[in-house]
Amino acid sequence: MANMTPLAERLRYAIPQGLSLKIGVLLAVGALIAGPLLRILSETLAPQTIAAWSDVVLSPLSRNLLWVPLSNTLVLGIGVAGGCVLIGGFLAWLVVMTDVPFRRTIGLLATLPFMIPSFATALAWSSLFRNSRVGGQTGFLEALGLAVPDWLSWGMVPTFIVLTAHYYSLAFTVIAAALATVNSDLVEAAQMTGAKRGRIFAGIILPVALPAIVSGASLSFAGAVSNFAAPALLGLPVRMQTMATRLFGMIEIGQTARGYVIAILLIVVSAFFLWFGNKVISGRQSYATITGKGGRAKRFELGPVRLPLLAIGMTICALTTIVPVVVLIASSLAPSSSALFSNWTLHYWLGTSNPSIAHGQAGVLHNPFIVSATATTVSLGLVVAITGSILGLMVAFTLARYRTGLVSGVINQIAFLPLLVPGIAFGAAYIALFGAPIGPFPALYGTFTLLVIAGTAYLVPFSVQTGRAVIQQVSGDLEESARLTGAGFFRRLSAITMPLASRGLAAGAIIIFVKIMRDLSLVVLLFTPTTPVLSVLAYRYASEGFTQFANAITVVILVISIAATLLANRLQTKSQPWLKN
Amino acid sequence: MISLSNLTKSFGNFDAVKSISLAVPEGAFLVLVGPSGCGKSTMLRMLAGLEKPSRGTISFGDKTVSDGERGWTIEPAKRDTGLVFQSYALWPHMTVAGNVEWPLTVARMAAFERKARVTEVLSLLGIDALADRYPNEISGGQQQRVAIARMIAPKPKVLLFDEPLSNLDAKLRVEMRTELLRVHRATGATSIYVTHDQVEAMTMASHVAVLKDGEVEQFGAPGDLVAQPRTAFVATFVGTPPANLIPASPHGSKMILAGEPMVATFSLEGPALAMFRPEDLTVYDKPGPRSIAMEFAEASPVAGRMMVTGTRDDLRLTAVVDEAPKFYPGDPVYFSLPEAPAALFSLKGERLA
Repeated sequence: MANMTPLAERLRYAIPQGLSLKIGVLLAVGALIAGPLLRILSETLAPQTIAAWSDVVLSPLSRNLLWVPLSNTLVLGIGVAGGCVLIGGFLAWLVVMTDVPFRRTIGLLATLPFMIPSFATALAWSSLFRNSRVGGQTGFLEALGLAVPDWLSWGMVPTFIVLTAHYYSLAFTVIAAALATVNSDLVEAAQMTGAKRGRIFAGIILPVALPAIVSGASLSFAGAVSNFAAPALLGLPVRMQTMATRLFGMIEIGQTARGYVIAILLIVVSAFFLWFGNKVISGRQSYATITGKGGRAKRFELGPVRLPLLAIGMTICALTTIVPVVVLIASSLAPSSSALFSNWTLHYWLGTSNPSIAHGQAGVLHNPFIVSATATTVSLGLVVAITGSILGLMVAFTLARYRTGLVSGVINQIAFLPLLVPGIAFGAAYIALFGAPIGPFPALYGTFTLLVIAGTAYLVPFSVQTGRAVIQQVSGDLEESARLTGAGFFRRLSAITMPLASRGLAAGAIIIFVKIMRDLSLVVLLFTPTTPVLSVLAYRYASEGFTQFANAITVVILVISIAATLLANRLQTKSQPWLKN
Repeated sequence: MISLSNLTKSFGNFDAVKSISLAVPEGAFLVLVGPSGCGKSTMLRMLAGLEKPSRGTISFGDKTVSDGERGWTIEPAKRDTGLVFQSYALWPHMTVAGNVEWPLTVARMAAFERKARVTEVLSLLGIDALADRYPNEISGGQQQRVAIARMIAPKPKVLLFDEPLSNLDAKLRVEMRTELLRVHRATGATSIYVTHDQVEAMTMASHVAVLKDGEVEQFGAPGDLVAQPRTAFVATFVGTPPANLIPASPHGSKMILAGEPMVATFSLEGPALAMFRPEDLTVYDKPGPRSIAMEFAEASPVAGRMMVTGTRDDLRLTAVVDEAPKFYPGDPVYFSLPEAPAALFSLKGERLA
């Protein structure tokens, strides 16, 4: 700095501070997020492809291409949102407001289903309920002699159940956090007026929790309409299409333009409901802020229904966490999913190729394809964890440092855009942009690099939030007081910032890793045999009838992601205020 | 009349309230005062019916409303009480008018009557202009008024207050004290008020119960507590400033006060605590007869007089004098004692003379 040339000196004052940083970050998020999305739109508007719009929306084909999948998607979305709010809300109420025993356990279990990938739950469902309609192995219940009707085995109902079992923990988390801010004084003040329980619930608790209920519902809705795994595994065999599966099918058979149109419409549906939920909430008063001192937590006495409600809560938790995992493990050991708990063999794990079992497929640990997929997946997770953390931190830093201004506003909007975009549509957008060479750059389709870029971009909203939390933790008074002692930038970085931020950063990176590990919908379209990924492999095996292999791979994913999640929780010493007494 | 007899509340093995008995006449303003953890809020919650006593009874008039022995208590809403919470507990999704109206709706008051009552109490508290605002759109003092309006709207016979002023700034607190007394007079209801601030107790109460560790140290009118403290704790807890307690022990013909041997002007059988009122002490910048050397801590003008405080180890003495030399922190300051203490307490804190 000391020997700065006069020109640099002048430039320093001529250019607004931080402009280069802002422009750099803008270019990064623009290329990673806005680029693919604009590209997929322009792709469908080109003269030779614009006909895809009318094919999809207004043609004899459009009933099958759009309207039936759309109505299935909406029915699923609305049903799952309702189911999630009921179950998640009930559990949140139980854990936060009542004196039910084992509250901590229920609270912990209720957050787990979201960590189990939805294709795992779907696979577990079909191991139990699969009937003989589409051939292949039948499920456990059929083997017990129970006739499983088609509607329980395939299509809308099982998809709805599996998605609800997966997404209710989202609703639980949001509603529990909101209920935890309801001061028990509010309830006691209502008791003083003589209002009965039902009236207090309807007049006080429900309205105060309404914003959280609405946001729980819209998050579950967006999750359900974007989900690919569950409808693909449970619906496709009986030709039930949702927009996500239709989009996948179109791109698989090479009708990319039509696929892109469906992707755009899917983004519109998902984004509309998220926007609508936000709108409903933001039009209302914010309630959470009213707290004085005091406010002891007095729990609602359940009296005689205490144990029955405990049983219901525990059953829900067990059915959505423990049962699927147990079924998956058992089924990866049993030669036939009709006899889950007998004749166990480690063949599907350790066995070498044997023509009499599973068409000679070798066990998971001997199968070169699966071993290389594990390596690819883990390295993908690690690389994205690092790139995502760095990008997230940079964006968060830029936004924290330069809060106002047009560029910051645009960065902020773009960074959170992926939240509105279903993973499979995002994957489609990446194919649209990187499927062909751009200028001097070769086509990235089928390369590890593409998976890294797409994964990093898709998780930007999440990594920015982590980065923000880290920056908030560190910046401000702590850093300033260090600056006042005269410590230089690097001294401060090593003595104050890094020690304080490292845990948060590490925890955030691990969670990114887990999200990538268990993701299916983003990578399902980007998958090629040269870049095998575990989740897609599990899906392929399942759709080809090799249930045990699919389940064994899923168990591998589960073990890695649960171990990583526990590590992250430990690092974060995650605060769950609603569990405190 | 409100009477408590042998009222006890235990949480597990811990007795938060230990066998308290007292009675106040109808229309009284009873203040329960004591340091945090003394059981005052638990008592208030039992009076409100939010907690069941473990033992003992509470009666309003000749009607028993809680009976710990039989484990039975009348519901909060049926005992004709209203409660103002420390957090105010305003329902955030209802407007100011909505907050005041809801209890009346629950009580099935007719709509036109309800509207009239809401308007009446809002104007009694001077917040009629805020009727359509939400709680998070008004200031802390205004929220406080809404909480009071909501409480008095159903015309309860007993008004309960749980540290209602502790979230307000100093100036508002003084204003709201006056406001509360006005509401108390206007409603004619019996008020029970919990606070840790003895100034509030002394200014507002007709009856004060000083609580410590779940027991009543002294129960009486504010003036009596200051004039005739029954325990060393009360002596040092009430009064502005509170009285000084100096360890005293007889030594031959001398009396040792705070380590200084002095001519014995009163008699003692053994070590004790002597109480001296601040207005009975004088301060000098040089040693004199019957003086205790202290280190100057602070001084402030009080109503035309000077309040001077000195410290030494654990001892802290305060004098209120007409004039004092100029001291700087750390200067020696000599507190001169009168011949007779205002009261004597045993080392355990019981009153001797």
